[in-house]
Amino acid sequence: MTEGRLLSILIPAVGGQGGGVLAEWLVDAGLIAGHAAHGTSIPGVAQRTGSTTYYVEIYAGDTQEPPIFSLYPVPGALDVLLAPEFLEVGRAIELGFPSPERTTIVASTHRLFSIHEKMATGRAIHPPGELEAAARAFSRSLVAFDALAVAREHGSEVNAVLLGALAASDALPVRPDAFREAIERKAIQVEANLRGFDVGLTLGRQRAEAPRPSAKRPFRAPPALAESLAVFPDALRPLVGEALSRLIDYQDEKYAVLYLERLAPFVGGDRDSTLAEIVARHLAVWMTYEDAIRVADLKTRAGRFERIRREARVKDAEIVVTDFLRPDLDELYGVLPYRLVAPFARWAERRWPRGRPTVGQHVKTTTILGFLRLWLLARLRPLRPISYRAQREHERMERWLTAVRRCAEWNTALACEVARAAQLVKGYGEVRRRMTGLFDDLIQRALQAGSLETLQGGRVTVATELTAAYRRLVLQGPEQEAKATALAADVITRLEKNEPDAALAAITGSGAGG
Amino acid sequence: MGERTFAEDVKQLGYGAGGVLRGEGILAITKALLQSGVSYVGGYPGAPISHLLDVLADANEPLLKPMGIYFEQSGSEAAAAALLGASINYPMRGAVTWKSVVGTNVASDALSHVASAGVVGGGLIVIGEDYGEGASILQERTHSAALKSSVPLIDPKNSLPSFARFVEEGFGLSEACHEPVFFCIRIRACHMRGELPCRDNVRPAISMLSPLQRPSFSIERINLPPFTYAMEAQKFEQRLPAARRYIAERCLNEHHRGEEEHLGIVMQGGLWNTTLRGLHVLGLADAHGHTPVPLLVLNVLHPTVPEELIGFLRGKRHVLVVEEGMPNYIEQELKALAHDARLDVEIHGKDVLSPHGEYVPQLVIRGLMRFLTSAEPRALSASLIAERYRRLTGHQDSVRAVLPRPIAKRPPTFCTGCPERPVFSAMKILRAQEPAIGDTHVAHDIGCSTFSTQAPFNVGNSVLGYGMGLASSSAVAPNFGKRVISVMGDGGFWHNGLGNGVANAMFNKQDSVLVILDNNYAAATGQHHVPSTGTNPRGEPTGMTIPEALRGVGVRWIRTVNSYRIAEMLGTLREALTTRYEGLKVIVARGECQLERQRRERPLRRQRAAAGAEVVQPRFGVDPDVCTGDHSCIRLNGCPSLTLAESPDPLKDDPIAHVDETCVGCGVCGEVAHAAVLCPSFYEVRVVQNPSRWRRLLARFRLAVITRLATA
Repeated sequence: MTEGRLLSILIPAVGGQGGGVLAEWLVDAGLIAGHAAHGTSIPGVAQRTGSTTYYVEIYAGDTQEPPIFSLYPVPGALDVLLAPEFLEVGRAIELGFPSPERTTIVASTHRLFSIHEKMATGRAIHPPGELEAAARAFSRSLVAFDALAVAREHGSEVNAVLLGALAASDALPVRPDAFREAIERKAIQVEANLRGFDVGLTLGRQRAEAPRPSAKRPFRAPPALAESLAVFPDALRPLVGEALSRLIDYQDEKYAVLYLERLAPFVGGDRDSTLAEIVARHLAVWMTYEDAIRVADLKTRAGRFERIRREARVKDAEIVVTDFLRPDLDELYGVLPYRLVAPFARWAERRWPRGRPTVGQHVKTTTILGFLRLWLLARLRPLRPISYRAQREHERMERWLTAVRRCAEWNTALACEVARAAQLVKGYGEVRRRMTGLFDDLIQRALQAGSLETLQGGRVTVATELTAAYRRLVLQGPEQEAKATALAADVITRLEKNEPDAALAAITGSGAGG
Repeated sequence: MGERTFAEDVKQLGYGAGGVLRGEGILAITKALLQSGVSYVGGYPGAPISHLLDVLADANEPLLKPMGIYFEQSGSEAAAAALLGASINYPMRGAVTWKSVVGTNVASDALSHVASAGVVGGGLIVIGEDYGEGASILQERTHSAALKSSVPLIDPKNSLPSFARFVEEGFGLSEACHEPVFFCIRIRACHMRGELPCRDNVRPAISMLSPLQRPSFSIERINLPPFTYAMEAQKFEQRLPAARRYIAERCLNEHHRGEEEHLGIVMQGGLWNTTLRGLHVLGLADAHGHTPVPLLVLNVLHPTVPEELIGFLRGKRHVLVVEEGMPNYIEQELKALAHDARLDVEIHGKDVLSPHGEYVPQLVIRGLMRFLTSAEPRALSASLIAERYRRLTGHQDSVRAVLPRPIAKRPPTFCTGCPERPVFSAMKILRAQEPAIGDTHVAHDIGCSTFSTQAPFNVGNSVLGYGMGLASSSAVAPNFGKRVISVMGDGGFWHNGLGNGVANAMFNKQDSVLVILDNNYAAATGQHHVPSTGTNPRGEPTGMTIPEALRGVGVRWIRTVNSYRIAEMLGTLREALTTRYEGLKVIVARGECQLERQRRERPLRRQRAAAGAEVVQPRFGVDPDVCTGDHSCIRLNGCPSLTLAESPDPLKDDPIAHVDETCVGCGVCGEVAHAAVLCPSFYEVRVVQNPSRWRRLLARFRLAVITRLATA
């Protein structure tokens, strides 16, 4: 009895990705190549964007007596992991499917984020480097590139491109022509799929790792104030240059000078520039806070309409853009002069502690009247420095900077954490009020903890850890916000009782992660 | 109608002898029904057996009608089971199908009655055993239902010819023992692709073309005492013994002998593939299943044939039972038989295999390894088996070292543009903005809408059964300090909700709020028609609507709201929760299933665009420099097309919201941002292909003015 080769292929996919067609191509290609082949899948609720798997077996050997096909892959006995999405590679590894001795992994590196990665207030995306390292460690051979980008470029689909890359890997005893024939037999978008297959085949043969272009706009050089950059260390200059460009674009040169003045205390001497960099970054973002004037300005730029037209990806199409604007009372009186509206604002804040009245409007920005409404609002820019909103924002910024300076006297690590807390200041309307409330609480707690520890003669370790944990918890999402405030209260109580170890333990146990 | 059309499958169902069918397991089962001469087929859709109904609906005109076969998509599993009533009095073969165990639960009243009265024509119940990975329901097995009603249970080996053979044997078994027969098939088996050599379809003797002329009456078939006592006696004195004879004579169970005579493995037919693969990777079988280990494959789990079991046990020292689910009826029976027969054999099962869960290879192989290393086969030493197992699984110990963070779960959610999502956005917004009324108990139901219990909504405090949402709030509402909300899909409403939910609430004067999600179809199973779709799966108009049904049972407070209008939905929910009107308040949230709508409209749009006609396609976008990356919109929405992108801003680290190209332009992200007062980042862009001359001119003029004013 001569044993043939039994090859096991797992396709871990996200529902709706075309994994079913991919599996059918594989089965058909196996049959065309003269082998026995079978496949199965578990559509069901998983097809609604949940994780799902398709499974194929090809038997190269005596087809007179068919093998007993398995309906499931055996962890550790997998020959090919063909993944149209990269997190699913991680999941397959977590479940023990691929093994370093046996498995060829062919995967697209693009990501469809899980809802848990998307819901966090900050960044919860699984680090791609970690997934890639795992894929390398748990495969005999790895082919990974952004098949979605490739497919888009060539007007094809991810599954066809990946099939091509698999054909190039010679992990299966199936020649490329058999795959091509399978695509033709299936008779779905044959031309586009063959195109994708051939591109994938070429990329797979080159073992090319397609470059990943950075999504970030490069730093700009400021149109003015270039000479003022000289005082900054080399490493910091591009960042400050970008900040100055941004501030001049936002307001004017005078405003940029104010930025430089605020940053000055953190620069110079032979200090480590980490703190200066954090402050420089967050201060620039904060000083260009998104008030109604800024939003109107950004929405009426020529580049915006060009981008929208480009993203429509239809040749010779016209576009009609409607903006969904619903400023609340804060944002409306925010643009008016402080002296004029302060009494009213104080009354309004008492009258509507949450959920201020709003003005809803749908503005057709590509019509002349719609455009003018926003364009005129953007012309209020000269009023901004004396506006109610400016007064409130700059007060808070100053409190933050004072706190950072104060902490820097104790310890740079704590100062860095307090500086990073500005990451919490984001959102509009109710969200921004909630976030700034948490920010205020965090700053106060950091100072409180720092003072207590300093009084007790210790280093400000607890304060530093608390500040970091608080920020991380809040960035995990609203459900964790109450936990953050409770943790801070708990830590302060313990410090008051001079129990720094217990306080540290509480922080470690808070689930804020590292 | 269902998710796909099945022209190719329908063609294959018509094949005669010599033809080879290529397709999924469930198609082979469907073909075998036609080869068995059924007079009627019905059922209630649900994974994994939806395909059977889908393909038959498409086959109705070209294939079933010409053969005189009656086909229906039944109103519920109870109605489907009641179809078998035709076989109580008349020698007609018929098949019904549903998702089990839930469908069996719904069907069990009818089923018990049929099983008690018995059948004269073969009745087959194809149950899709929705157990294990990919299942959408609670995890129970159907075995106990077969036992309590004395219904034979077939669980065949997984291959297309095996499915076809056991469908045909199922009818024979049913007629031999005068009981309907369960035919159990698991989800992966339904979808396994393979080939089936066909036989000719058989035209039923009794059919719509050659109908019955005379009713048959026999008092012994009426489920009333004293006949019910006689029926019970018949089950155990005649029917089950007849079934055992049939099983033994037709060799439905398979006894494979092998050189390792001192040991053996007994398995459910459905676990044959996994068990043999396990023996293969451990080195005790080849890829074709040749093994020195004696095997007993039970393709029929109930009734078992004691002589077969004892015959297998005799002379063995160690026997393993591979039996999925609890209780472990087969293992217990084997132990009892061995005890009574004074056999000196050790019987293992749940002690080395997992007591619960789907028997996936890792569980089965671990169990086999434990069993074999103690049973000591002669062909392979225990240490070699253990070594093979270690080689297979050793790498798993280092997973956490390379993946320190667990991989995020991917709960199923509403599709892009789904009309049900905005209803739960509204409920979540109300919960946050007005907790005094909105933060209340939500009794949920079964259907796509159940996904609202998952992230990011977490709306729904209990899920109890199909169409049972409202009924499950009956004891919560009077004991709760606020008005409670119940949710029901249109599928659930017609299945069970109108009677057990609405009529019950009216009868008991419940003061609560019911939200019915009317998306035109039973969408979760694959867009199956429901009474309010307008037509049945055969394409005949029905003229039934939800509001009329509600009025018919006396509901007076009914509001119909377009489900995409979140502000309006918020207002209506607020009104329902605060009105002085006591009694049941029903909000019908209307919006067609987007999957079905896109499936219909997308090709049309493409055609029109290709023909040069003006086509307007809306979609949404986020201004990347306006979005501050707090993701509040995602927490209230969860649309798959609303995702993240790296901020282009070199000073910002947090990813921003981004609408990808799969957006269908339903408008919910704009509505959510508006209703929850989130941010001004969202915009709608209407992309006009082939714009008219007038529109082109106007656009050019506008662009000229805007370009002049706009800053760079």
